[in-house]
Amino acid sequence: MTETTIITTNHVNLWYGENHAVKDVSMEVPDRRVTALIGPSGCGKSTLIRCFNRMNDLVPGCRITGQIDFHGQDIYARETDPVEIRRKIGMVFQKPNPFPKSVYENVAYGPRIHGIRDRGRLDTIVERSLRNAALWEEVKDRLSDSAMGLSGGQQQRLCIARTLAVEPEVILMDEPCSALDPIATSKIEALIDELKQKYCVIIVTHNMQQAGRVSDYTGFMYLGEMVEFGSTKQIFENPAKELTENYITGRFG
Amino acid sequence: MKAGEGPAAGDSPADSFPTVPPAGTPDGFRKDRHPGRRSRREGVIRAVWFLCALFAVITIFFIFAFLLLDAYPIFEEIGIWNFLSGPVWNPTGTPPAYGIFPLIVDTLLATLLAMAIAIPLGVGSAIYIAELAPYRVKAWVKPAVELLAGIPSVVFGFFGLVVLTTWIRVTFDVPTGETWLAGSLLLALMALPTIISVSEDAISSAPREYKEGSLALGATHWQTISRVLTPAALSGITAAIILGVGRAAGETMAVLMVTGNAPVIPEPIYNVLSPIRTLTGTLGIEMGEVPVDSTHYYALFGVAVVLLVITLVINFAATVVLARIKRQQAPSRPMCTPQEKAAPEWRERARAFYRDHRGQLLWGILAVSLLAFFGLIGLAVAAVLYLVVRFVPPMISPKWAQRIAFSLAALCVIIVLLSLGVILYDILSKGLPYITWEFLTAPPSNLGREGGIAPAIVGTMYLVIGSIAISLPIGIGAAIYLTEYARQGRLVGIIRTATDLLNGTPSIVFGLFGFAFLVIYLSFGVCLFAGQITLALMVLPTIIRTTEEALKTVPVAVREGSLALGASKWQTIRKVVLPPAVPGILTGTILSIGRVAGETAPILFTAVVFSTRFMPSSLFQPVMALPYHLYILATNVPGAQGQQYATAVVLLGLVVAFYAIAIWIRHRSMARHPW
Repeated sequence: MTETTIITTNHVNLWYGENHAVKDVSMEVPDRRVTALIGPSGCGKSTLIRCFNRMNDLVPGCRITGQIDFHGQDIYARETDPVEIRRKIGMVFQKPNPFPKSVYENVAYGPRIHGIRDRGRLDTIVERSLRNAALWEEVKDRLSDSAMGLSGGQQQRLCIARTLAVEPEVILMDEPCSALDPIATSKIEALIDELKQKYCVIIVTHNMQQAGRVSDYTGFMYLGEMVEFGSTKQIFENPAKELTENYITGRFG
Repeated sequence: MKAGEGPAAGDSPADSFPTVPPAGTPDGFRKDRHPGRRSRREGVIRAVWFLCALFAVITIFFIFAFLLLDAYPIFEEIGIWNFLSGPVWNPTGTPPAYGIFPLIVDTLLATLLAMAIAIPLGVGSAIYIAELAPYRVKAWVKPAVELLAGIPSVVFGFFGLVVLTTWIRVTFDVPTGETWLAGSLLLALMALPTIISVSEDAISSAPREYKEGSLALGATHWQTISRVLTPAALSGITAAIILGVGRAAGETMAVLMVTGNAPVIPEPIYNVLSPIRTLTGTLGIEMGEVPVDSTHYYALFGVAVVLLVITLVINFAATVVLARIKRQQAPSRPMCTPQEKAAPEWRERARAFYRDHRGQLLWGILAVSLLAFFGLIGLAVAAVLYLVVRFVPPMISPKWAQRIAFSLAALCVIIVLLSLGVILYDILSKGLPYITWEFLTAPPSNLGREGGIAPAIVGTMYLVIGSIAISLPIGIGAAIYLTEYARQGRLVGIIRTATDLLNGTPSIVFGLFGFAFLVIYLSFGVCLFAGQITLALMVLPTIIRTTEEALKTVPVAVREGSLALGASKWQTIRKVVLPPAVPGILTGTILSIGRVAGETAPILFTAVVFSTRFMPSSLFQPVMALPYHLYILATNVPGAQGQQYATAVVLLGLVVAFYAIAIWIRHRSMARHPW
């Protein structure tokens, strides 16, 4: 399968007030692959992926320069609707954040706001999304129970199902397993492997093993800069920069 | 390891490893030589807070006891049913008639219309302030709304009497402007700040994650607000509305001054231009002039009991609703518990039916109630509404829906602020010219037409200071007990219910209780101390509630962090739980001070006289008070309009000063505790 680029960043800089959090990042993210961003805490990797669906718009005092293209369309152009961007570029957060509604309503939320009212269609979407998030078997008998009663791993898969239900093209994952136990983590990782058949997945992690296990491409960030970006195999086996090698081999971080 | 460095328990296993520092108290730590004394101290502290909490129960019991005691003769004499359903209230006629049915209906009508106005305005404004307002706008809109809350009810009543009723009379060309409409408009204005502040808090404190989660799915801002944030804040908004209803149903002075006080049911029932008379108004007007232990006196206590029961029912309903919502959103409810599996089938089916047909049910209720009120026209209105709600929204794109919704929300805020502006402008522009040094420092003469209001200013200050000094420690103590110490059990349930009931008790009922218990039974006479106690009881639930809310916002993790460092429970509460809760506690205190300074009803029969030349020299002398002075000037002294306006200005100024200080303090501590 040939690779196509879905997101391109061009000299992206970001400031939170005075704090220069992302420095001159240029990269190309391929479609239907898993791209991992690794680096020590505070290196700007989460900030960077929050640029891709304009979640940083919510942060007061945040300023961005440079260009981010999604299918060749400038995400930050004046005429671009952030709501439309976010529908196509979904996001799963570090801490599972289901709404205080039932399991069903959580998944149906996205389709509903995008105008689907027919109960039958919603049922189909909810079931398909929960199946694709490998959660259906566990929750099918309690769809109308509160999502807050699920375990952490189930909540996170519910959040993924919720994201899948609006049929995005890209799924951003901001350290999706950092709040989960190893078993839940392995389920999510298996799920990510499935998801790349249909979606572009960008995952932020500070767990290098995880990046090695799930990703096809890896970017290593340090102090806001993209130190190195390449295939995961190359980054882990044959890094071009000494800094990357030091981090990969655990000499700092 | 040097001898004596560690405590007696130093010969722990750690001693056999010289490199490991000894277990025990590190250098420089205070050594706790008397763990027994500490635990005794903790026990005493706990007991003190428990007593504070118990106080609410005792109070509500006393109020009930004394009201029932004094109401019993009327129930015995004419029968409860005749009392409730009697169509005529004419206690001074021959023969006297003690039927309060029209009073009950009028009370419900006044509250209903007020809520129909205040709920949309209030929730709209709350949404605007919480989510839409730019930072700078928010920074002055919020205090402005709190200011609206601080305007004393008697000032609203005064404004209503001289401006609003005139406007209604002229605009609608009716013989008198003292109508249901005037009363409900004022009630709406008075309920608004409560509804706005509490809803806004609830919406603002919905977790950030919900907002991010929704936006990340491509929801518009408005969709996020209407479908995630508002539902998540629903319990808070419901609480806000109920507090508003309580305020409206129990309000006395403003209503009494503008509704005309004719004990009739409007004809037809939706004629908002008819005069009405509420239960509270009846008490306010007649209580002062009735001989103790006459039939009329007992009848008034009967009215108070009915009023109390109505507000208790409202509150009880509220508690049930809130508990339901809380249960639905409960995070840690274990799923598929055995009890749930064992639920009978019909209940499951009823629940499923309710879930699937909730919309239809609500529409049915709406249609029936409109039909009952307005006849066939009401039914037609319901049908049109249904069609609009059912078929119009899908035709509007989310973007336009957002624009429309945001404009409406902004409009709500503008209406609220404009009302505030009109009232302030009217009072200030007409009152300020009369404010002179003499007015502020001299006692009144010629029935308040000349001279000043110095004794009233001082009296009000005394009332505020005394009542807050009584209620603040008890209230905070009770809240600490309820949130930090209490385990869920029957006793806590009772205490919490009592607090809720006390909270819903109308201020005039406190007045009656103060009169029956303090003034008559304890023979205090009409005096400052009786007023202070009555007012303290009235604001106690506000303080308990807001303090509880504030304590609850402090994350459990913070408490655990402190306890894990070896801090005792009380140390944890004092050092890490209370400090960040201070802004919340202050909010409650602000609201309380505002109420105390402006309340007339509770002191009407307990503490005040219209005119005295002397400052009170002991707690057992009657005082003048600003709100009461304004009330009498406005209703009983013709030809004192300048003094009326000037008194209103002083009363407003006093309240605003309290508010400004408190808001400033809260703002400062807010910056330090950002969660």
